[in-house]
Amino acid sequence: MIAEAGHYALVLALALALIQSTVPLLGARLNDAALMNVSRSSALAQFLFVGASFVALTWLHVTSDFSVLNVYENSHSMKPLLYKITGVWGNHEGSMLLWVSILALFGALVAAFGNNLPLSLRAHVLAVQAWIASAFYLFILITSNPFVRIANPPIEGRDLNPVLQDIGLAVHPPMLYLGYVGFSISFSFAAAALLEGRLDAAWARWVRPWTLMAWIFLTLGIAMGSYWAYYELGWGGWWFWDPVENASLMPWLAGTALLHSALVMEKRNALKVWTILLSILTFSLSLLGTFLVRSGVLTSVHAFATDPSRGVFILAILCVFIGGSLSLFAWRASALKQGGLFAPISREGSLVLNNLFLTTACATVFVGTLYPLALEVLTGDKISVGAPFFNLTFGPLMVPLLIAVPFGPLLAWKRGDLIAASQRLIAAGVVALLAVAVVWAWTTRGAALAPLAIGLAVFVIAGALVDVAERIALFRTAPAISLRRAAGLPRSAWGTLFAHAGLGVALIGIVCETTWNSEHIAAMKPGDSAKVAGYEFKFDGATQRQGPNYRELLTKFSVSADGRAIGAMTPSKRTFTTRGSSTTEAALMSRGVSQLYISLGDIAADGAVTVRIYHKPFVLLIWFGPVLMALGGLLSLSDRRLRVGAPKPARAPRALQPAE
Amino acid sequence: MTLWFVFAMMTAAAAFAVLWPLGRGSRAALAQGTEATVYKDQLAEVDRDAELGLIGPAEASAARVEISRRLLASDEAERAAPVAARRGPRRAVALFALIGLPVLALAIYLPLGSPLQDDQPLTARKQEPPQSQPLDALIAQVEAHLEKNPTDGRGWAVLAPVLAKTGRLPDAVRAYRNAITYAGDSAERRADLGEVIAAAAGGVITDEAKSEFERAVKLNPNEAKANYFLGLAAEQDGRPKDAAATWRGMLEKAGQDAPWRPMVQAQLARVEGAKMPDLPEGAAAAAQNMSPAERSAMIQGMVDKLAAKLKQNGDDVDGWLRLVRAYMVMGDAEKAKGAQAEARQAVSGNAERLKQLNDGLKNLGLDG
Amino acid sequence: MTRKQRRLVMIGGAGVVLAVAVGLVLNALRDSIVFFSTPKMVAEQHVAAGKRFRLGGVVEPGSVKRGDQLQVSFKVTDGDATLPVAFKGILPDLFREGQGVVAEGSLDKAGVFEADTVLAKHDEKYMPKEVADALKKQGHWKDDYEKKPPNATSANATSASAAEATK
Repeated sequence: MIAEAGHYALVLALALALIQSTVPLLGARLNDAALMNVSRSSALAQFLFVGASFVALTWLHVTSDFSVLNVYENSHSMKPLLYKITGVWGNHEGSMLLWVSILALFGALVAAFGNNLPLSLRAHVLAVQAWIASAFYLFILITSNPFVRIANPPIEGRDLNPVLQDIGLAVHPPMLYLGYVGFSISFSFAAAALLEGRLDAAWARWVRPWTLMAWIFLTLGIAMGSYWAYYELGWGGWWFWDPVENASLMPWLAGTALLHSALVMEKRNALKVWTILLSILTFSLSLLGTFLVRSGVLTSVHAFATDPSRGVFILAILCVFIGGSLSLFAWRASALKQGGLFAPISREGSLVLNNLFLTTACATVFVGTLYPLALEVLTGDKISVGAPFFNLTFGPLMVPLLIAVPFGPLLAWKRGDLIAASQRLIAAGVVALLAVAVVWAWTTRGAALAPLAIGLAVFVIAGALVDVAERIALFRTAPAISLRRAAGLPRSAWGTLFAHAGLGVALIGIVCETTWNSEHIAAMKPGDSAKVAGYEFKFDGATQRQGPNYRELLTKFSVSADGRAIGAMTPSKRTFTTRGSSTTEAALMSRGVSQLYISLGDIAADGAVTVRIYHKPFVLLIWFGPVLMALGGLLSLSDRRLRVGAPKPARAPRALQPAE
Repeated sequence: MTLWFVFAMMTAAAAFAVLWPLGRGSRAALAQGTEATVYKDQLAEVDRDAELGLIGPAEASAARVEISRRLLASDEAERAAPVAARRGPRRAVALFALIGLPVLALAIYLPLGSPLQDDQPLTARKQEPPQSQPLDALIAQVEAHLEKNPTDGRGWAVLAPVLAKTGRLPDAVRAYRNAITYAGDSAERRADLGEVIAAAAGGVITDEAKSEFERAVKLNPNEAKANYFLGLAAEQDGRPKDAAATWRGMLEKAGQDAPWRPMVQAQLARVEGAKMPDLPEGAAAAAQNMSPAERSAMIQGMVDKLAAKLKQNGDDVDGWLRLVRAYMVMGDAEKAKGAQAEARQAVSGNAERLKQLNDGLKNLGLDG
Repeated sequence: MTRKQRRLVMIGGAGVVLAVAVGLVLNALRDSIVFFSTPKMVAEQHVAAGKRFRLGGVVEPGSVKRGDQLQVSFKVTDGDATLPVAFKGILPDLFREGQGVVAEGSLDKAGVFEADTVLAKHDEKYMPKEVADALKKQGHWKDDYEKKPPNATSANATSASAAEATK
């Protein structure tokens, strides 16, 4: 009954989405508040039903109901409970259901917390949101229905791909989806603005918190995915410029640009048309990412769900929404009132620069990701565009952007003074040069550019600190006054500090890891030892162990630094019976923000185990950076200004309390 | 029935979600934000920042002017208040929610769903007795049907193998004979008949069984089962050479992928004097009295058990060697190789055992 | 500055950045893309020694030989031609004889493909797309590379569970 109720709930969600996508528009046209308000209740109900459907599927996975095809194909009764649950979205059908549930969640959030929006804007936003939802409900029901039943259920399932049985996978796709799908709200806002034909500074303030929320999730999702690849795939790489990774990076770049351009629009009522276009592009890139991953159109290490018939359907959705929204844009954008122009040297000028570099970088990633596909379609040649391409294009574009980052916040709106800003950044520049000198003196090997890159990263971090120090007049006035100013500083200023500093932190990690990473590969027998980057690894021996649904060869290494034992590492190799495949579980040991990394290779006839040992200096910074950035986003999001305009129930909405 | 009730409740809830705001009318319209609110807040923010000294007085006043200009513009363009509700469209929407929504939902659901199928969580299924009851009931049904229509050859043909599987061998013999009579003679059916006759006789290929196999081969010289049993008959008659010749002939003629190949190879190896996988004593004696099919099933079962045991405890080098040898004798090179690799991994922690294993594998003629 | 001049500065700046980006992309596309070949294509086209490309095909059963110091050699075949491959390092978990593989590297003077990376995919059923396409084109595609019949897998599943149940 649960299976069928879940199935029916999904159908009802589709029916509600269809109502939600039409009635509010009718209401807006007739200026009928009741009809427009249908959008709210139906968005909430739609989320309730699709949520129930998702819970039902989870329940079926947990109880190992193999009469459901999806459970039979992706689960196994011996699987630990955690992976029974994560297995729900570890497969194509379930992950699409999660995708659409999150879409409905965002719609419900707008419905519940969008009290500060004008009625007709909210009606339009929710209607557009429902169009997207309807398309994906149809996609799920027609091509990827997770509730298909088997008349004679087998007694055991076929298990989830072992590589995917990992805690990293439990959180990484939902995070990514929250980000991807979150941008649907900015898309809906843009489409609503175009439909309404009204666009002004207030729009930017309304859309910013939603964009920011999506951006935070996407940032965390990408960082988590990268960390998962790092420890689960067993060769210590954390970014492969794989099409699927690029698919998540592109909306991130566009979304970051959108956050900044919305700021200009909010403050200066400029860049309006551009901001609308970016909103459309950001979500289009998210859809493209979904298409790339879900259609299996690209050869990729992530392509675990491949089915061309689905690809065609998603491609159709992609064309309708991207094509439709861009046509709408072309048709209505000229009708929007143009915003004012401004001086190149100003806060808004620097934000335009930021947008320029981010979107250009996004375009290079786009070319690198889709060029092989286009070439194959056109000429039949098969090529692969790998890391070298991106290092040669994306890298150089990031350098000027990073140099510009500290200047931006120091420039005033309207008319900035570049020389004054530079003077204030002298301290940061000095610190950066010192860092370059120290790194240069300290290291003996590696690329000559590495110290410079670290200097750049330090400059970005110091610049972010200088900005806040300037605002609170640190060291220029009495500490008490500085403190008072710091308390009065809007949280979004602290958000900027963390987000920009996070960028520098990640850059330090990336440069250190790629430049001074040490690697040692050898066949080792029990008793052997190896020395890597000043650490000594002694292979103590191997034991066999039975896990819940796999067998595991567990090896033990004792690690010592300068003759002093600092612990043991136990990398292992798991063999999964049901699928007859194996995975390598790397062992990690953190030393400060650096890590030691061991993974196992084949086992030779004489009992020797091939072992890879890495020392990865400062590698953890690569993920601390994004976490800092997300934290900055969170601070910004909690800024009371973004919540402004929400009517306070008992009082007239106009009453303002500055002391709040 | 509960399912339809649940469906009805869900549908009602969905329809209610659409109807509710329609009923509330324009009262809810008050809860909406305006652009003016945003600009007023921006003004307040400028004041606050100026007070703290975060922005200069000149900047602050410029910003104030700009925001005020926007505020004025927004007031001019403030949307017209919602007009008095028109009943028509609301009624239409309400009607659609009440009728269209359920119809639409069912129209989509019914072709896709399987409302008659219950949930079958694994724990509940494990508590059920193995499906003997339904099968027995089914057999009884078919038998009753055949009692009335004894000339239904297809019915007999369906029933016969089921009877053989459930162990009602004499009945199976009768069923096969009826199938041949009413549904037509064929090599396959003759061979099947012979097999159940032999099985009924405790695995001995009686003359009666043998004549059936011979007929089968006459109908189709390549009938594998019949040929196999003819070989077995020869062996039971004390002519192992003939048996070997028969089986070898089969192996030569058949493709590499014939499913029975490993079994015949094992039998051939046995009569030709190759040592069978070591079986516990008693088991070998028991095996003497079994039908060949049963015997190979027994061997397969023991090999599986050994493999399962080694999966639990991989220290047993002899066990691994026995398993590899068993697979080789059964002609399953793929599995032998797999077992070899697993064995290495299992004992790789212990140098002495590994050496023992490698020596053993060498003796078996595998690379060390 | 007048409005017009400002506008020109902005557009000019954007133009410069875009031009630089296009230059970078074209330059990188010339230097850093890697073509994909099968052994047959290598045999027909006489690929020059030292030119990097990706080689795809099936690992020929029985051809994997392991040497000292993690040296591995194997042969990659597409049914029409085979090419010896030398690799030093750890092969991925899913590397198996008779399975699809993609290796990246270049030919040495003796005509041996010196691979510096061997790629494996997430799923053991998964055949690298280029390999599957190439094999299909040459008519050596067997469906069972990609999909086992459902019966076989469910049989495996049941026997595996039976084995576990005997504990």
